[in-house]
Amino acid sequence: MASDSNSSPSITDCTDQNPNPNEVTDHLTTLAITESENAIVDEVDSNQEDSVDIANGSLDVNYDQNDDTQVEEELPTGSVLVSAEVEVVEDVRERNSSGGVDNGIDNSEHEIDVRLSPSSSGYAGERGTSSATSNSGIEEVEEDGNVITLQDSSIDAVADSASWVPGKRHVDEDDASVSWRKRKKHFFVLSHSGKPIYSRYGDEHKLAGFSATLQAIISFVENGGDNVKFVRAGKHQVVFLVKGPIYLVCISCTEEPQEALKAQLELIYGQMLLILTKSVNRCFEKNPKFDMTPLLGGTDSVFSSLIHAFSWNPATFLHAYTCLPLAYPTRQAAGAVLQDVAESGVLFAILMCKHKVISLVGAQKASLHPDDMLLLANFVLSSESFRTSESFSPICLPRYNPMAFLYSYVHYLDVDTYLMLLTTSSDAFYHLKDCRIRIETVLVKSNVLSEVQRSMLDGGLHVEDLPIDPSLRSLSLSPHLGQERLTTDSLERFIEVDHGIGGPAGLWHFIYRSIYLDQYVSSEFSSPINSSRQQKRLYRAYQKVYASMHDGGTGPHKTQFRRDENYVILCWITQDFELYAAFDPLADKALAIKTCNRVCQWVRDLENEIFLLGSSPFSW
Amino acid sequence: MGCSSSLPDRTSRQLPGINSENAGATDSKNLKVKLVLLGDSGVGKSCIVLRFVRGQFDPTSKVTVGASFLSQTIALQDSTTVKFEIWDTAGQERYAALAPLYYRGAAVAVVVYDITSPESFNKAQYWVKELQKHGSPDIVMALVGNKADLQENRQVPVQDAIEYAEKNGMFFIETSAKTADNINQLFEEIAKRLPREPTS
Repeated sequence: MASDSNSSPSITDCTDQNPNPNEVTDHLTTLAITESENAIVDEVDSNQEDSVDIANGSLDVNYDQNDDTQVEEELPTGSVLVSAEVEVVEDVRERNSSGGVDNGIDNSEHEIDVRLSPSSSGYAGERGTSSATSNSGIEEVEEDGNVITLQDSSIDAVADSASWVPGKRHVDEDDASVSWRKRKKHFFVLSHSGKPIYSRYGDEHKLAGFSATLQAIISFVENGGDNVKFVRAGKHQVVFLVKGPIYLVCISCTEEPQEALKAQLELIYGQMLLILTKSVNRCFEKNPKFDMTPLLGGTDSVFSSLIHAFSWNPATFLHAYTCLPLAYPTRQAAGAVLQDVAESGVLFAILMCKHKVISLVGAQKASLHPDDMLLLANFVLSSESFRTSESFSPICLPRYNPMAFLYSYVHYLDVDTYLMLLTTSSDAFYHLKDCRIRIETVLVKSNVLSEVQRSMLDGGLHVEDLPIDPSLRSLSLSPHLGQERLTTDSLERFIEVDHGIGGPAGLWHFIYRSIYLDQYVSSEFSSPINSSRQQKRLYRAYQKVYASMHDGGTGPHKTQFRRDENYVILCWITQDFELYAAFDPLADKALAIKTCNRVCQWVRDLENEIFLLGSSPFSW
Repeated sequence: MGCSSSLPDRTSRQLPGINSENAGATDSKNLKVKLVLLGDSGVGKSCIVLRFVRGQFDPTSKVTVGASFLSQTIALQDSTTVKFEIWDTAGQERYAALAPLYYRGAAVAVVVYDITSPESFNKAQYWVKELQKHGSPDIVMALVGNKADLQENRQVPVQDAIEYAEKNGMFFIETSAKTADNINQLFEEIAKRLPREPTS
């Protein structure tokens, strides 16, 4: 797969070529239209996907075109990223027009709700929230269940993904609980008759009234021949997704883009199909009042772990998967033995380590969608029973065939490494077990498993290792890839702007997504993005910029340079790849651009190790 | 297994073939049987198996997905061995329709309920009926009341279970995977009841 390696564009550093800066500002306005009257907007279900955020009278977008904020660059061609004079600040500040209270980015992470008397439907009383902004000592209920006081905003690292335990939290709550109403992000699944199916927090059965309210909103709009997609109520966004008899709703004050929340609902629906297939719809045809909760018994941890992934796993918005870095011959060895079994009637053979792919092979013409892989890996990783013994279970890959079950043989080869063999045949267990034994023998003999463990310890790409001199780049491979590592002194570092942390030119982190491979690689988090809280914030920033890059109404964009008080974020999309890079907020723009070029070159130099190339089952 | 071949074939069947799904004797002294555990979710099927196979007990509940496969060989006093190939099925409703996948061809079915839960006892009776209808005709069935350590919370009287088991020609035992009480006895008793080829 040489698609990434030849004739790829490069960013050049030159002066402003933006033909029409005014157009740029116009375009920005469309990003955040606000109106001041309605509280609810019903969006026509058509191709018009633009977000129309309507605040209930209290929000006003205030941006200045004069100073160096608020301009988004859109460049005529994707091949040249121009260093322009204008700089962009992503932070469209929301000002409370009546009180003039600045609800800037600091507050946007926090939900404050002092109303202690809940009304029948939990969100009815939300309109008054901004009155509470001065009350900064109030306790905030974090999504992961920990309670933090806002005064101590320096608290970091509540729970990082390593220590996070899947499972439902706060089952005792319902919509009458103050704590329940303070949660920043709710997900609900309900049936078209208003019966609760899943709720992220609280006991579904106690949320019947709340579910009925959601159902009423949806069907009220439907009765008018329309579809409700999105409602903004104060700080809260409510996103709806209707899938036949199943309704999915997200209520969030996390300021994530509406498109991102909708994509998350799609994944939750996909996860449900993976467990039940779409034939569950038939139950609703027979009996509209069908109660679906028993069918999902014992799957809380699957959903909670998926929802957790929405705040740390870039695969959830990139729609791509990531590989464990491995020396090319090692990955080849794994691929060869998987290929072997794929020819014996196995539909997909997938070898993974945690969320990263070691190798995967599909039978002829069978292609596996990255979202299916995400959902499958999430299902296996969040179901503890797979770790205790080998198992054989029906699962559905919604993008492959939402109507039918496949049968999956799952076996952990060590603590983190597991093999999944998927087949259409329900009595193939003993065959798959034999395949596994064969695969395991080869993997042990060819040291693949020990290489995998070594790679896990070494981690992936570190921004500090970004080579600076192109002539040296071929020598500067990561240490765990079996290559000779240069000593630090011989590897001249990029020190034009050195803040003492992160990589060259203030590079803190990057994600590179190869479009042809449907794979991405992201650098390891390093100083100063150490705590899980900071990582989540960066993740959200990427997610936001991803949504704006892919916004159907105003985009797609080729390049974007955003600066705010937390980061500089630089995005660059070509027909081969997408790059998202985060820099120190004080990073020099020209240097940042130069560094992005180096990152791309570096990734291409390492593609044999960081990507799964060739014999890809991702067919088009 | 009434009339088998007149010559006991001891050598040629040492290695199970790829499709060795059906239970059967590898030879007259070393049996290999397929065993399936059925029962409501949360009654402790996986705990019974893990206690039997690995001698472990993990109080944190881990919901089984689909079915897990484990095997364990026990030696009996008459110097024969029995290798159990155990299908530990998920108790969730969504897997009920798929149960035949796992009990098809099983020589033994262990139907488990929780002595503190009458619903789980009802569910056990459902499984017994299902096996009588669709299981192998000569299947050995055991009825197991698990969580016997929770005596003070008992809701299913021993007598009810004994009567039900007798009526349906089942072997009955109460176990505790937590304390390991009666776990080995359960499997030894099953082993004894397996139909055997006549030894020469």
